[in-house]
Amino acid sequence: MIAAAIAPGRSLRWPRALLTAVLLALFAFAIFGPLANLLLWAFAEKWYFPSKLPSEFGFAFWQRVFDPRGNALASLGTSVWIAVLTVVVSLAVAIPAGYALARLKLPWRGAILLLFLLPQAVPNLPIYVNIARVFYEVGLNGTVIGVVLVHAAHGLVLAVWIASAAFAAVDASLDEAARNLGASPWTCFRTITLPLAAPGLMASAIFVFLESLDEFTGTYFVGVPDVTTLPLLMFNASMGGNYQIASITALLLLVPSIGFMLVVERFLKADVLAMVGR
Amino acid sequence: MTASAVAATDAATLASAALRRGRLAGLALIAPALAIVVAFFIVPLGISFATAFRAKDGSFTLAHFEKSFELYTTDLVFTLAIVLLSSALIALVAVAIAGYLTLGENPRAVAVLRWLYRWPLFIPFVVAGQVMRTFLAKNGMLNHVLIGAGLLDPLAAQSLLDWRGIVIAFVWKQAPFVTLLVAGAMASLDRQHIEAARNLGAPRWRVLWDIVLPQVRGTLLVGVVLSFVTMLSVLSVPLMINPNSPTMITVDVAYRINTHADYAVANALCLLSLLFAAGGAAFYLRHAVRSAGEAS
Amino acid sequence: MRFRLTLAAALAAAIAVSAPVSAQTTLNVVTAGDQNMVEYVTNYLGPKFEAMNPGVKVRAVGTGPGDAGSQKIYEKLSAQQKAGSAAWDTDVAVVHQRGAATMVKENLLLNYRNDVAAGKLVSRDSAKNALGANVDGYVLPMFHSQIAFAYNPDLVKAPPKSYTELAEWVKKNPKQFGYNGVKGGMSGVGFVMGWVSANSGLGEKLEKGPYAAGDKATIEKSLAGLKDFNQNVVMTPGNAGTLDMLNRGEIAMGPVWVDMFYTWQADGKLSPKIKLSLPQPGLPGQPMYYVIPAKAANAALAKKFIDLAESPEVQADGIVRQFNWYPGIDPQHVQAKLTPAAWNKLFTDISPSDLAKYGRPFPLSEYFTDIVEGYERVVLK
Repeated sequence: MIAAAIAPGRSLRWPRALLTAVLLALFAFAIFGPLANLLLWAFAEKWYFPSKLPSEFGFAFWQRVFDPRGNALASLGTSVWIAVLTVVVSLAVAIPAGYALARLKLPWRGAILLLFLLPQAVPNLPIYVNIARVFYEVGLNGTVIGVVLVHAAHGLVLAVWIASAAFAAVDASLDEAARNLGASPWTCFRTITLPLAAPGLMASAIFVFLESLDEFTGTYFVGVPDVTTLPLLMFNASMGGNYQIASITALLLLVPSIGFMLVVERFLKADVLAMVGR
Repeated sequence: MTASAVAATDAATLASAALRRGRLAGLALIAPALAIVVAFFIVPLGISFATAFRAKDGSFTLAHFEKSFELYTTDLVFTLAIVLLSSALIALVAVAIAGYLTLGENPRAVAVLRWLYRWPLFIPFVVAGQVMRTFLAKNGMLNHVLIGAGLLDPLAAQSLLDWRGIVIAFVWKQAPFVTLLVAGAMASLDRQHIEAARNLGAPRWRVLWDIVLPQVRGTLLVGVVLSFVTMLSVLSVPLMINPNSPTMITVDVAYRINTHADYAVANALCLLSLLFAAGGAAFYLRHAVRSAGEAS
Repeated sequence: MRFRLTLAAALAAAIAVSAPVSAQTTLNVVTAGDQNMVEYVTNYLGPKFEAMNPGVKVRAVGTGPGDAGSQKIYEKLSAQQKAGSAAWDTDVAVVHQRGAATMVKENLLLNYRNDVAAGKLVSRDSAKNALGANVDGYVLPMFHSQIAFAYNPDLVKAPPKSYTELAEWVKKNPKQFGYNGVKGGMSGVGFVMGWVSANSGLGEKLEKGPYAAGDKATIEKSLAGLKDFNQNVVMTPGNAGTLDMLNRGEIAMGPVWVDMFYTWQADGKLSPKIKLSLPQPGLPGQPMYYVIPAKAANAALAKKFIDLAESPEVQADGIVRQFNWYPGIDPQHVQAKLTPAAWNKLFTDISPSDLAKYGRPFPLSEYFTDIVEGYERVVLK
């Protein structure tokens, strides 16, 4: 690619295309190689040395996961519902917080940002017993709201940091121009700053959703036994080496994850297009 | 006093009142988010960390920290090295992929890459650990493919299930996250500068390095620091991939709790891990503040 | 504006969803261990119990394998105790020995054994003693498990019968033996315990006591041999890690939990050819216990549930026939309910006499700590 840039010419086009294709193929292997393992285990009924591929395929483990008494679909539904609520709660508090941290010259700005970082920065294992205690004392254990708040506490670092960066990237002079023309701060925010920061905010929504869908330890300590989510099953199966069940639940969780991203991206495109020419 | 001096003092008073009101408004905007994090994480964190300083009889002691350093200094250094290396690689991969998505001239390749790179985002860490364990093992899929393609001698096959496996798993899982952020930032840049530079004959890597990268530095830094901090706290990946010693601190924390019920040393180790994370975050904040100062 | 209304509606819906709906009683069973333990309660014990007690629903949740899973159960009960909750949200828990010992020490459990008919069917020491802690009356064993060497008979013609033989074997067959050290799983910890027991000369004192701090030096000396041993073996990432490497044929032999071993074979993840063996002087084993939290909301129902689970019929049909695990209650009660063929399947690889001689309990908790920390100091440096 570097050589081609120095000597422009058609003679170098198709070897370059070949190089690009090879690099893409290698990249695809790097991404899908490990994932292929997931697919194989999801349908493997017998797989051990010396077979390089499963010796028997089947749906036996799918039947185990979807056993009617096992509530897999119900816990999937609960997981998605909790993730959606987490995104709503996180964005609701992160948008004002991100704006304030980016635009208003607050004292302690660095310390506040650092504070939001803590839930992700510390290995959580020894903290959970005390988180559970706080929730029991407040009476929020075993409720969906409790689990949402635990997920939000973790997801807020993504929401607040990314929102703050997104708002900081929006040119402040646009705001000033609008104010000079007489617009109120709220109108400025609603029509100028927020739409321009929307791509970053939507990205943070996706990450918070994915984070919530992967969260299991907090859900156990605050939600179980009344609130059970599919990631709990996935974590236990994966740690126990139960590859088939872990792979099946991971595949199941892929569906809402990718679905959410597609929905958000569609919304995002429309919004950005709507802002063009305003 | 002269009229202008009075006016000046009045203006100053008004300005400081406005500043105070602005500050109060700012704090009010942050309050809900802060409340959630403080009530449901910081308070339990404080309770936990207090045990790191408490001896069995309740007195203040640093013995738990002494024990942490006695047994786990190598692991602390190892953790920091792994996470720094992974962060650097993630930054490299993210810039490379995002750069190609922005500056690539083969539309089909760009479309394929854009579809390809995101998949690991949807895989949780625990599943990433599991698939990497079966992929990178001595008789795992990677070696099978390399041997099948004739690129590797069967006897030379080695297991990547050590520090290399951890780095590979981290980069595989986190690079798409940073790439998504950086590609988004690059996509919202003004293309005029890029077009102008290309028209003048600049090679694409120069455009990336001199024009695009400086403008998305802030976003890249956010992504890398968030990844740095997240990798410090992941338990499943090192637990499932690296059986050797040294290992990451999170494994030691889990071990102290589950095998010895030793919450004191576990919390001491968490506190030390937190200092690393805070160091990384402080680095970002200083950079971000400095660049914000330069911009204004 | 619309956004705010949507938010309010969503929150209201969430609160509605989280309010309790049914009028029937729910028995909450929380179990550590693999997913099949959860399925055992959900698909087998649950329907049986619900048929006997109309109006009751059994709800099972898993917390994950190993002592990590038991620790999570302990932490939740401890949190409720510290928060002063009146009725706790777990009625029956299934935990490992360490978890049970910690819970008894902190008064988190109900002393229920005398209130349960099946309590008379258990006479083994493991029902009274968990790692040196007195848990008499607070626990009943659900099943007993044992650490044993799993080996591929195609690659290991004659499995080593003692630790000395094993040390020689690994020198001749480097990187064919694997275990997980002391972090990540109890099968590796058990192996280290067995090594110390064989090489330190302390023998039964480690299990029965009295504990003497002066033995630390002897223990660390015996661990020095393990450091050389480790040069010729593969370290695996945990209980499942050892089985995982056996699955791919990367090792030929390693210590595994017998219950996990049979589960992996049943799930098609281990070749049916692989066998088990016990070396002299032995490897540890431990039961998993049924316990009832002190302030369980449905303690009476919990006792009935455990009574059902520990009845000879259920132990024979559920534990032995379904899982091929050693029963929790005394073997003679269970053997009577099975055909000889079904009973002898338990002893395909390890005979009852070998099991009696070489299946040992874990050492006392102080020796346990000394051995494990000694490993960290001597072997991992």
